[in-house]
Amino acid sequence: MSVFHLPDLGEGLAEAEIHEWYVKEGDTVTVDQPLVSMETAKAVVDVPAPHAGKIVKLYGKKGDIIQTHAPLIEFEGSASVQKDKGTVVGNLEESSAVLDEGDMIIGAAKKTANTVKAMPAVRALAKQLNVDLTAVTPSGPQGQITVDDVKKLAGQHAPKLGNVEALHGVRRFMAIAMQKSHQEVVPVTIIDDAVENPASQEKDFTVCMLQALVAAIHAEPALNAWYDGKNMERCIHQEVNIGLAMDTPEGLFVPVLKNVEKKTPTELRTEIDALKKSVRARTVAPSELQGATITLSNFGTIAGRYSNPIIVPPTVAILGCGKVREEVVAREGKMEIRKVAPLSLTFDHRAVTGGEATRFLAAIIKYLEEA
Amino acid sequence: MAEITLVEAITQALAYEMKVDPNVIVLGEDIAKNGGVFRATVGLLDKFGPERVRDTPLAESMIGGLAIGMAIAGLKPVAEFQFMGFIYPALDQIINHAARIRNRTRGRMSCPAVFRAPYGCGIRAPEHHSESTEALFAHIPGLRVVMPSSPARAYGLLLASIRDPDPVVFLEPSRLYRWAKQEVRDDGKALPLDVCFTLRVGTDVTLVTWGSLVKETLAAAEMLAKEGISAEVIDVATIKPLDIETILASVEKTGRCVIVHEGARTGGVGADISAQLAERGLMFLKAPVQRVTGYDTIVPYARLEKFYLPSEKHIISAVQQIMEFA
Repeated sequence: MSVFHLPDLGEGLAEAEIHEWYVKEGDTVTVDQPLVSMETAKAVVDVPAPHAGKIVKLYGKKGDIIQTHAPLIEFEGSASVQKDKGTVVGNLEESSAVLDEGDMIIGAAKKTANTVKAMPAVRALAKQLNVDLTAVTPSGPQGQITVDDVKKLAGQHAPKLGNVEALHGVRRFMAIAMQKSHQEVVPVTIIDDAVENPASQEKDFTVCMLQALVAAIHAEPALNAWYDGKNMERCIHQEVNIGLAMDTPEGLFVPVLKNVEKKTPTELRTEIDALKKSVRARTVAPSELQGATITLSNFGTIAGRYSNPIIVPPTVAILGCGKVREEVVAREGKMEIRKVAPLSLTFDHRAVTGGEATRFLAAIIKYLEEA
Repeated sequence: MAEITLVEAITQALAYEMKVDPNVIVLGEDIAKNGGVFRATVGLLDKFGPERVRDTPLAESMIGGLAIGMAIAGLKPVAEFQFMGFIYPALDQIINHAARIRNRTRGRMSCPAVFRAPYGCGIRAPEHHSESTEALFAHIPGLRVVMPSSPARAYGLLLASIRDPDPVVFLEPSRLYRWAKQEVRDDGKALPLDVCFTLRVGTDVTLVTWGSLVKETLAAAEMLAKEGISAEVIDVATIKPLDIETILASVEKTGRCVIVHEGARTGGVGADISAQLAERGLMFLKAPVQRVTGYDTIVPYARLEKFYLPSEKHIISAVQQIMEFA
């Protein structure tokens, strides 16, 4: 059983008069169906059914005054009792879901794994060195893994492909000189071939190259020079002291042939042979390894055609000569087989211009082709 | 053993304790005849009468003061604030008196009061009804802050809070009030305060949360498991004093931590947990600690609420990000 009370039909109206009943006791009504028209001080208003249901009692008849919020109609049953929303604002989510949280642990779960103690920097290092921290024995405070612990293990794991050896002597000097050159010199390498004159006689090729250098220095002295990059000073030399690269098991030696411009081919050959001997015997004097004004590398005696020879400061040029080969060349519209010497000239572009260098190379080729 | 909702668990705990301890009094706005805005005190008036189940005027400062007076006088008041956003008028009473009585009287008096309030958004309520400002109370020395996340913990922790000899701010996630049912034995057994609850055991990441977002965090952990990421889920439950030992023990194991809370980011309880992990757990961490939190904005109205509230997606995304570290 539920009772429908007269709602406030206006703004704070205290009462209203029953103007006309649209329904009678025993009627079944639907929601919003007009039940009664009520006359207020302001208007005649229809009152709709708040919900569906069967009417069991009407409170009053036409002309009666009903106070606002006083009973108006009684419905059968309790259909009017709305389900409690459980809140006065908003909506609470409801479901028939049953929460099964399994075994709730009061406090911490039991630890199973051994934990690694390492600061973030140590973890980063371990990642970088590909070290598994669980394999590291900690030596730090409170059982922490330190940077050293990680490095130690990383060292143990490094692949062993051979014995590490420190560089000594000539090999060490080569490393230093090459590194210095790489850091300092601005190298340009130009390459070309010298084609042998078929009419020329059999000759000492190394000596011939030395003499070609002398001729080229005569034509273009700028390459027979020292350059001081720090003070930006160059010194063009009058004498021609040619460093001659020699390969030995101990490393690269570059003994110097002094005053090449004043020596005969025979003298040069004698001197070269003496230097070779003393280099192999490791008896070469330090003074014989110093003072080069330009360098020659006859690497072609082993193998190789062209290269980018490396200048050793303070010199500004080095000539490399590759393996001499026989090649078909075009001469006056015909094919001829000639000996060809491949040349690679590196110059320090800080001290030497491209013009000087190419004229120098041209002079070498000219000398070799005419010799 | 019955299956009950979280709000029914609150009612059940109140009824149990009122039955066994005649000093327990409940008071608040519309809590007696009406049963409270969320019906948390429904039926108590009939069972225990108007002396012990008291409607108060709409005056939160007075509710706070009344509870403190009762508590000092030897009663065990449980005061209800209709919403967390309505507690603020009573802050003076709670911070300046409830939290300090024991210290002020050098231990001669204590304040065994419980200040209950629903908190959090997600129920499409108006402004002031969506607060999650537990960090305010956690900051106050002398206050205990408890936030249940399931019917079982609501029952056990409320009993413990009422029995505790010092003031407890007891914050109930309104979004979860009727969300699901759980079997709760009405045996008067309290759960321990000041300790976390590990709800899911995992090895890859520790998800630390409390209150309303335990629901989303557990769901996220379930989804992460499908990706092969094993998440441990910790319900902090007592926000203050914080059981950092349980969190540390878990992070020692997993090496990763994501803290999830509904309250605004800046100065949130997550910031404090993160700081303590940095202080004491740094050597265990494989990745930076992450926080998934509400934004530094006023909680928006109903239509935008879902954009404010951290979701499973946010939690999963944070976890995925830190899984990419060592």
